[in-house]
Order: sequence, then structure tokens, then C-alpha cells
Amino acid sequence: MDISEKEARDSLDQIQAVACHTRRTIAASYDSSLLMMWGLIWIAAFLGTHFFLRWVWWIWMILCGIGAIVTFFVCWSQFRSGNPVKVPASEKIGWRIFLFWALLYVYIFIWLSILKPGHGIQLNAFICTAVMFAYIVTGLWFKCYYMLWLGIAVTCTTLLGFYLIPASYYCFWMAPTGGGALFGTGLYMRLFWK
Amino acid sequence: MSSLVALDSGEQIDFVHLRQILDLTDGNLGAHLTKLENAGYVKVEKTFIARKPRTFIKATDKGRDAFDEHIATLKKIIRGPKNEIQSEPVYETTD
Repeated sequence: MDISEKEARDSLDQIQAVACHTRRTIAASYDSSLLMMWGLIWIAAFLGTHFFLRWVWWIWMILCGIGAIVTFFVCWSQFRSGNPVKVPASEKIGWRIFLFWALLYVYIFIWLSILKPGHGIQLNAFICTAVMFAYIVTGLWFKCYYMLWLGIAVTCTTLLGFYLIPASYYCFWMAPTGGGALFGTGLYMRLFWK
Repeated sequence: MSSLVALDSGEQIDFVHLRQILDLTDGNLGAHLTKLENAGYVKVEKTFIARKPRTFIKATDKGRDAFDEHIATLKKIIRGPKNEIQSEPVYETTD
């Protein structure tokens, strides 16, 4: 069988494209709706904080509580109905991911009780960057590089908001950049990766 | 085969999901998989999840090795001193 250099190159490109499309489609089937939901929660919570500062605690507790419950049920229903990709029983990692996120929140509370942030923006920037750190770790762990880049991007917008934006506009800045980045990534995955 | 090798070793993908990814018909994908299965490159496993029949497919070690060999051959052709070289077919059964 004679293969020219061009044919070999085309063939390799095609293989690369199919492999990339496969990984992206699988990632989008798991994550896009959850990312979009958390993006909307962040947008609503940040805008709520900007306009109704007095209710900040309730806004975040209620919205994040709803988000956590929906996330749990989405993951549970995916588990029940069978994921599109089955991993060997010895490598099942669902519970480890669950434990990782649960422990992250426990540790966030521990760190907060130790550090005692002076004002709300410090508290918010700390939680945002801690959660984005978890995105980065998860991205590296599962080779989901979009999570890695999303984590880095939102960390950068949080730091920009914290250091450069006037405090009174911090939440107004974080709604489109933090929440918008999460929602936009989920929407992009849903539209172009599926 | 590219799709299956893109998964981690040991991971299996649902037939319906694979069909959607590759944008193929049931018959077309089934025919491809039968050829690959006969060559020992993939393993097809039928099971029931929530009382519904599901078919999972995974690349075998032999299939992964053959695929790696195929990729290596293509890369050798691209890097080779001559533009065209004689290469051995890796897959006897596909396409």
C-alpha cells in the first residue's frame, strides 16, 4: 500500500480530530448543564449581593444550597441511568470526586475560621479562588484542560476584581466575569462540543 | 478506533453515545465494530442497566497496540526522507 506524505498527514489530522471530538463530546455530556447552572447561580448571587447587600448571606446560602442539591441529583441520575463511559470497577472514582469536593468545603470553613477575613470581598475572593483551585486540580486530574483554563481564567478575573476594581463594584465585576465565564464555557460546550 | 483509543485503557463507551459522536447509523457502526471485534481490536459487552439493554465497547490491548503502530507508521511517512514509502497495512479488516 503506497501512502503519500499528504495522505499520511491528512490521516493523522483526521485521527486527531476524531479523538479530540470524542473527548469533548464526553466532557460536554457530563458537565455543560452543571457549568451553565453554576454560572447562572454565580451571576444571580453576585448581582444580588451588589443590589441587596443586606441579604448577602441568605442569597448565597439559598442559591448555593439549590445548586448543591441539583448537582447531587444530576450526578445521581447520571449514575443510575448509566454513564456513556463505563470505567473498570477497580477505578471507579465517582465517590472520590464527591469526597474531594465535600472535603474542599470543609477545609474552606477551617481556613476561614483560622484566617477570619476582614470584609465580605476578602471572604468572597477567597472562596472563589479556592473553588477555582479545585477546578484546576480536577482539570489536571482528569486531563479536562478546559477546566484547568477556566479555573485559571476565573482566578485571574477574581484577582483583578479584588486588587484593581473599586470595592463597591467588585460583585458587579464578578457577575459577568466569574459567573459569565462558567455559564459561557457550559454554553460553548453544549453548542460546539456535542 | 480513534474514538475508542481516545478513552483511557479499560474504559468502555456506550454504543449509542459512540454512534452519536461518529454520526453513523446503527448498521454502519455495527458493521465496523464487527470487523474490529473479529480482528480482536475491540471488545463488545452487552449488559442491562436499569432494566434496559446497553452495549459497551472498548479497545483491547491488541487494538491499542495496532493503532499505535499505525500512528507510528503515519508519522514515519511524514518525517521520512522520501515523500512516499512502502508501508505495511496495519488493519486487515477496516474500510
